[in-house]
Amino acid sequence: MRKVVFIVLAVMVLLSASAVLASEFHGAWPYLPPPNGHFNTYVTNSILGGSMYHDLIEQPMGMYYWATGTWEPLLATSWELDKENSEFVVKLREGVKFNDGSELTAQDIVDTFYIGYLMHWAVWRFIDKVEAVDKYTVKFHIAKPAPKIVLERYIIRERVRAHSVYGEYAKKIIDLLAEGKTRDSEEMKALRVEFEKFRPKTIVGAGPYMIDPNSITEAQLTLVKFPGYWDVKSLKIDKVVVYNGETPVVTPLVMSKEVDYATHGFPPATEMQFKRLGARILRPPIYSGPAIYFNDDIYPFNLKEVRQAIAYAINKDENAYVSLGESAKRCEYMAGFSDNLVPLWLSEETRSKLNSYKYDPKKAEEILKSLGFHRDKDGVWVTDKGQRMEYELSVPAEYADWTAAAQNAADQLTKFGIKVSVRGVTYSQHPTEVRQGRFQLAIRDWGAGNPHPHFAFYTDLVSYNYLSGFGPGQNFPLTQKTKAFGMVDLNDLVTRSGEGWNEEEQKAAVEKLAIAFNELLPIVPLWERYGNNPAWDGVRVTNWPADDDPIYKNSPYADNFVTLMLMKGILEPAK
Amino acid sequence: MNWTVKLFKSYIFRRAIRAFITVLIVVTITFFIVRLMPGNPIEIYIGQLMSQYGMTFQEAKNAAAALFSLDLDAPLFSQYLDYMKNLFRGDLGRSFVSQGVKVVELIASYLPWTLFSVGISILLSFTIGITLGIVIAYKRGGLLDQIISSISTVLTSIPNYLLGIILLILLGVQLQLIPVSSMRGTVSPGIKAGFTWEFISDVFKHAALPILTYVLSTVGGWILSMRGSTLNTLGEDFVTVAKARGLPERRITFTYVGRNAILPLFTSLTMQIGFMMGGSALVEFIFVYKGVGWALWSSIGQRDYPVMQGVFLIITIAVIVANFLADLLYGKLDPRIKAGGTE
Repeated sequence: MRKVVFIVLAVMVLLSASAVLASEFHGAWPYLPPPNGHFNTYVTNSILGGSMYHDLIEQPMGMYYWATGTWEPLLATSWELDKENSEFVVKLREGVKFNDGSELTAQDIVDTFYIGYLMHWAVWRFIDKVEAVDKYTVKFHIAKPAPKIVLERYIIRERVRAHSVYGEYAKKIIDLLAEGKTRDSEEMKALRVEFEKFRPKTIVGAGPYMIDPNSITEAQLTLVKFPGYWDVKSLKIDKVVVYNGETPVVTPLVMSKEVDYATHGFPPATEMQFKRLGARILRPPIYSGPAIYFNDDIYPFNLKEVRQAIAYAINKDENAYVSLGESAKRCEYMAGFSDNLVPLWLSEETRSKLNSYKYDPKKAEEILKSLGFHRDKDGVWVTDKGQRMEYELSVPAEYADWTAAAQNAADQLTKFGIKVSVRGVTYSQHPTEVRQGRFQLAIRDWGAGNPHPHFAFYTDLVSYNYLSGFGPGQNFPLTQKTKAFGMVDLNDLVTRSGEGWNEEEQKAAVEKLAIAFNELLPIVPLWERYGNNPAWDGVRVTNWPADDDPIYKNSPYADNFVTLMLMKGILEPAK
Repeated sequence: MNWTVKLFKSYIFRRAIRAFITVLIVVTITFFIVRLMPGNPIEIYIGQLMSQYGMTFQEAKNAAAALFSLDLDAPLFSQYLDYMKNLFRGDLGRSFVSQGVKVVELIASYLPWTLFSVGISILLSFTIGITLGIVIAYKRGGLLDQIISSISTVLTSIPNYLLGIILLILLGVQLQLIPVSSMRGTVSPGIKAGFTWEFISDVFKHAALPILTYVLSTVGGWILSMRGSTLNTLGEDFVTVAKARGLPERRITFTYVGRNAILPLFTSLTMQIGFMMGGSALVEFIFVYKGVGWALWSSIGQRDYPVMQGVFLIITIAVIVANFLADLLYGKLDPRIKAGGTE
């Protein structure tokens, strides 16, 4: 009897000890709890949808290492672009299970992408068919040639959904397509409305962690280790707790060491406080940042010389530091895409041709005088048409770093003689205001969190311009005369930079775009943003790689390095 | 006089009709004001699709058109008539952004938490406020009066969301007296709702910080108002007479002074109870507390018209009903005022 009692007690002690020792990682991400939030990961307001934690549940086929340009194969083991047959063929990992017990097969990939068709996924600009060749091979038929990296980003990086959850809807879509009903047909539209209301009971994925639906509150949720994960032996962390909230709400949690890592954009003063408390600050590039957009319908913003003068008149180092401390850096190349990607895409000769528009108010003054502009009695510049240069600069009010950048740019320009006042517009409305041309000067994003510069140029030249289709936007004509090339069709170059099989031709288009952008300055990038992600070493997890580790070149919003570290077992429980 | 004439002439009936008309007017104004805000949910959704998924405008527009069944191009008046028709059927519509979710369902999931946290706060704040108000009025000019009055003035002048942040940083981070993470939200993960000690204590634990914030940010106002009102009452003849009659001090304080001094605060209290339905968007946001204010905050950001209108409707009805009840109860509390006679 004593023995039995002893064994029972020993088991209880061991169990409670293992419960205590369950290793945890604490992160933070904003989400809406039910009933607003849900588990249909194709639809707005899905819980953790699109986040770095989403990759841990519905694992993608692969993730990208930005520093080396290589892929980490996950649910796919290999893939190939067959240019002759216009096919992209993916081989899946065998023996992978979803957390509901079903097996990963080619059908899951087919379903994932056909529902993506219903949801207007951009990949369908390049493909027109997805089919299962055998149980573990999927074939994407390429309708429009595109660079391999673009296809990889759209296909391999996509999170795989389970046939057991979405199969019924995917079948309906495939059947409708077989009947000749495309996305614009009434039947397909009705199906979409129905699908938007579809609410699975949980997220079924083949990733290392699964969401515990009972753990979800408006404050936090927990991801628990999936014991059937294909690489479960690599996992060193048992639970991932995700705290809900935006920057102001997450700040006290980081300060009290309750959150091990956060991707939120913290103001420099908060960052300083984190450092004082002993947190490490990781600074991965975001590959974009804020820029001044001009409304070209307003004279003299349609003159490239005026835009250049404005670029010279702003001390962008100061602007960067004031806005985001060490996590903002002036763009050295002003090429229209991230300085971090420039060496991969532009030759040394091209780079030497780029003007970095370093702070030079005298040069700015010379340019304006050469245009026949003069200063008024109070020092404000007056154009050759007699208009005083007084403008309003709009900015999304909730973005603290952009607001600081706007205010500093306005102060500097006002000091220079271009009187600028700042107006905050709510973040959800601001892009619409700009796209509809309801602005004089505005702060919007330049660049893109994608390794191919095509996407950055699309943001810089198309997203907020008349071609967006939303309205006149900046109304910057995309056919322009340049010193370097004479007349250039920028839209054609943007398209060519992201289409076709020939990578040399794409590089040539990118080089031409970079030089033209640098001369024309359709927008003035103020700085490039780097993360200021706080990370606590030794509280719950440890073994963070050193600051110069190439993994930190990954954009935290595209291929988050912590997600990879958790999957690969790099982060370990602290002793 | 038959009963219908009596009914129409009755004070309660006329007040009820007036309250109903006020609700209709406010609902109408809200409907149009919401639509006068720059932007609409479709535009915002199109923008989101373009930014997040790299869709072209046309692709995003087609996607949005299929998704949103509402026709924002329809004449505003016909949209208004549809809305009112549904409202009279008790249908507040469905969220535009969280497709398919009924607004009533949404409000029902948020409202109890706001009622609970703000309700307790008002009760506490009012009780503490009137008690301290009377005490310092009696000790007018003394040290206690000066200390409490100064603190009250400071507390009243700090916005509640700032107080919330200060509490979090001070108690949670600097002094580490409270576990910040486990006090967020309305309830801990895994706790089942029910009439159990575990659930009730957990709910109180989570509501503690919002309640403390509300109490601190409002108690000063009650203290100062009660102090002023008590001082006025103390100078009244009936108090002098009561003292001259040799009534016990305790009886004078509670029955003569307290009861009369509290009357002017009663209207403010009922108004606060009315506004309680709206919660406080910023306080609920800071403490990640799932109340109506939080729902309003997120719906405004997404221009989710039905949810915004639903929340405004609840607040409007609550304020009007609270006013109505205040009018009725005032006469009961103060027999000098006869409700019927004042009309």
